[in-house]
Amino acid sequence: MGGLSDERVARALLSHLAEPGDRRIGGLLRESSAAEVVDMIRTGTTGIEAEERYRVRLATARPEEHLARVDAVGGRLLVPGDLEWPRQLDDLGDAAPWALWVRGTVDLRLTALRSVAVVGARAATRYGERVASQLGSDLASSGWSVVSGGAFGIDKAAHLGALAVQGVTVAVLACGVDVSYPPSNDALFARIAADGLIVSEVPPSAAPHRTRFLVRNRVIAALTRGTVVVEAALRSGSLSTAREAERLGRPVLGIPGTVTSEQSRGVHRAIREGALLVTSAAEVIEAVGGIGVDLAPEPAGRTEPRDALDPLTARVLDAVPVRRAVTLESVARTAGVTPAETAAALGLLELSGFVRHGPDGWALASGAPR
Amino acid sequence: MSGVARTRGVVLLGVDGHVIGVEAHVSIGVSGFSVVGMADKLVTEARDRCRSAVINTGLEWPGPKITVGLSPAELPKRGPTLDLAIALALLAASGQVPRDDAAALVVVGEVGLDGRVRAVRGALVAALAARAAGATRLVVPAANVEEASLVPDLEVHGVRTLAGLVAFVRGDAPPDMEIDADVEDPPAPADDREVPDLADVRGQYEARQALELAAAGGHHLAMTGLPGVGKTMLAERLPGLLPPLDQQAALEVTAIHSVAGRLGSGGRLITVPPFEAPHHKATDVALVGGGSGVPRIGLVSLAHRGVLFLDEAPEFDASALEVLRQPLESGEIVVTRSAFSVRFPARFHLVLAMNPCPCGRGGGMGGPQSPSCVCTPQQRRRYLSRISGPLLDRVDLRVTLVAPTLADLEFGAHDAESTASVAERVRDARARAARRYADTPWTVNADVPGPVVRRQFGLEGDAVRPLERAIMLGQVSARGADRVVRVAWTVADLAGRDRPTRSDVHAALNHRDGGASWAA
Repeated sequence: MGGLSDERVARALLSHLAEPGDRRIGGLLRESSAAEVVDMIRTGTTGIEAEERYRVRLATARPEEHLARVDAVGGRLLVPGDLEWPRQLDDLGDAAPWALWVRGTVDLRLTALRSVAVVGARAATRYGERVASQLGSDLASSGWSVVSGGAFGIDKAAHLGALAVQGVTVAVLACGVDVSYPPSNDALFARIAADGLIVSEVPPSAAPHRTRFLVRNRVIAALTRGTVVVEAALRSGSLSTAREAERLGRPVLGIPGTVTSEQSRGVHRAIREGALLVTSAAEVIEAVGGIGVDLAPEPAGRTEPRDALDPLTARVLDAVPVRRAVTLESVARTAGVTPAETAAALGLLELSGFVRHGPDGWALASGAPR
Repeated sequence: MSGVARTRGVVLLGVDGHVIGVEAHVSIGVSGFSVVGMADKLVTEARDRCRSAVINTGLEWPGPKITVGLSPAELPKRGPTLDLAIALALLAASGQVPRDDAAALVVVGEVGLDGRVRAVRGALVAALAARAAGATRLVVPAANVEEASLVPDLEVHGVRTLAGLVAFVRGDAPPDMEIDADVEDPPAPADDREVPDLADVRGQYEARQALELAAAGGHHLAMTGLPGVGKTMLAERLPGLLPPLDQQAALEVTAIHSVAGRLGSGGRLITVPPFEAPHHKATDVALVGGGSGVPRIGLVSLAHRGVLFLDEAPEFDASALEVLRQPLESGEIVVTRSAFSVRFPARFHLVLAMNPCPCGRGGGMGGPQSPSCVCTPQQRRRYLSRISGPLLDRVDLRVTLVAPTLADLEFGAHDAESTASVAERVRDARARAARRYADTPWTVNADVPGPVVRRQFGLEGDAVRPLERAIMLGQVSARGADRVVRVAWTVADLAGRDRPTRSDVHAALNHRDGGASWAA
């Protein structure tokens, strides 16, 4: 429920007191509730060295105000346990976010299930921006969401590409979700908030500190099923997203540039170190589409073997003819089950890639397992 | 002869009636007739109609100088409904009928040159306005008596001629002129519409299912299928599955149809949800109302509390489909003018129907295209993309219709359920949803906004897995997830379950994207 429980307020407060990705706080949260951790900070009993640091911001802490402010911009606070909480973030262990401030119209968890990170340098070349934008469009057209930061260059190009085809795009920011940084990306953020999602670990109106950009990158890597680096110089921050993805066991992909380009040297080195070279959205999807075992509570292969089906569903599948399409009633009659049971079974079968529905009716999907 | 007298009339603005004070001043001076108080041409023409009517009734036309004042002055006044009130005020000002009796009445009607009283649109709305203004007696054209009498606690008197009105005000017996006059033929009654029965539809299990879900959850519906497959036939049956209109809704709907002149003289409340199917050539103004001068009511308002069926939806102008977004979001249309704004209620079930391709012969799934189809894949994509994303986002249910086979017709007939038995399930499902939303502004699943669906009515545990899987496979978009959840709730409501189960979500997924999977 969306009510203001103490735990929710405590997590909002914690996002103000401690910097994101603080493993010591994450460790405490493994054992205790956020409200208890806040109490420990207040009473100086966290057992963390130099814990008075956390108390510095206590005087200015106004979690209710932050919650009201995110509400005012049509946003919400997500905490672990919420239906919308992306559980794949748990893979970050003690460095997992303890709360996410979110603005936007779609469900973060469901959006992230089929998403790819597209990252790269702020100082991108025109080539890099074109590739990123095309990649954003092509991924979104294939039903994939784009996740990136909020910077100029590759980030912006990827978002715009997805938005151009009415796709869903997610910006993970190092500042508050109501802060436009860089300010000239204001219009971009407004469009993302309207059609996609803006996500941040820090409370509304928080400023983007340099260190926050780096810790933010682990969220981008952990939310998505793989990370594509479009352009990055040797010391580009976007390479940290790639390293984080690798640590999490998610595919790391690189778009090559010319060998003389400074802006591609980081990508080329990543490819030499094991990242997969890709040149199109189709290749990206091929690389990340198969996995998902870690992300979903149930493996999501394209098909599952026939013998895993329950007897009723198997009977319905047997009733779908090999060569032509038929109506649901016809399937029901052949299988000898009610239309309602047939409908539910066909729904499951379509989901599992066995059958397809078209203007002529139900038919076996091409390449369906036998 | 000189004097001042007043009575009251009613004008219509949008679907609301406004009681208007009508004053007449007859005085010495230069001969003339002026109307003050923001009257349109039809009202000022009342002068000529009233003059002929008064003279042809055998009464005296007062003068020489006549001033008619209409109040409140800032309200725009349109149409001929004030004729009778102006004539009465004049006759009272010149002492031909008792002033006090004229002042106590609210009078509505158009007069003809021969003194006959013509029926008006919106008599029900006029009666509601008169009662709201505290009037106890209302005079309307005889043809409108039954309609106006739907309003309780109001004495309604019908007149056929101006002579009849004068006699009524004086307390005399009706003159011959009144008795001999014909009551105008009412327009064809609108509510003798028989809603066709679902039992007539053979086969089409999935489409019937979608219709039942639409009725139970208040979901908008999009149907794709070849011409002749039965899209219109199915859509026409949706009103019969919806619960009958309650007292409040029935009055609203009857008032709208009264204003639009679409109500028969039967004087019955409309209790069956209306069905409105505008042609795809209809203009934006015809659809949502407005236009120059005083805004007129649009076709979508005639579908208020009922079904708006857009056949060949991609053939509608993009701008016409775009203007539908306002009523879909707010349940009403607001037309704003510099001096005033008019509100037309328009809360309807949207049913869209489309062919799979522009030529209407397309089809085929993965396999060969139907040989007669002449559309290129681009043409097909463009055709379907004419329905904009934001509009389609509001349509929870999508279904692809397949022509039934001979076997379906032969063997399926006995399980084609009747409207009555489906409507009963719909009623129970709606009651279940209404209990769940008791302390909220919503009554049906389709009303619940996305963020609330996610936070308070999300799928739990096992039930969310099919949805997650469909998203990971790209069969459902992140944006489409809320729609699947809403429909899953309706499936559960129809089955009498407290929460959607895994198989409810499978069933909901069946209705997610009829056609899109092969059109893309």
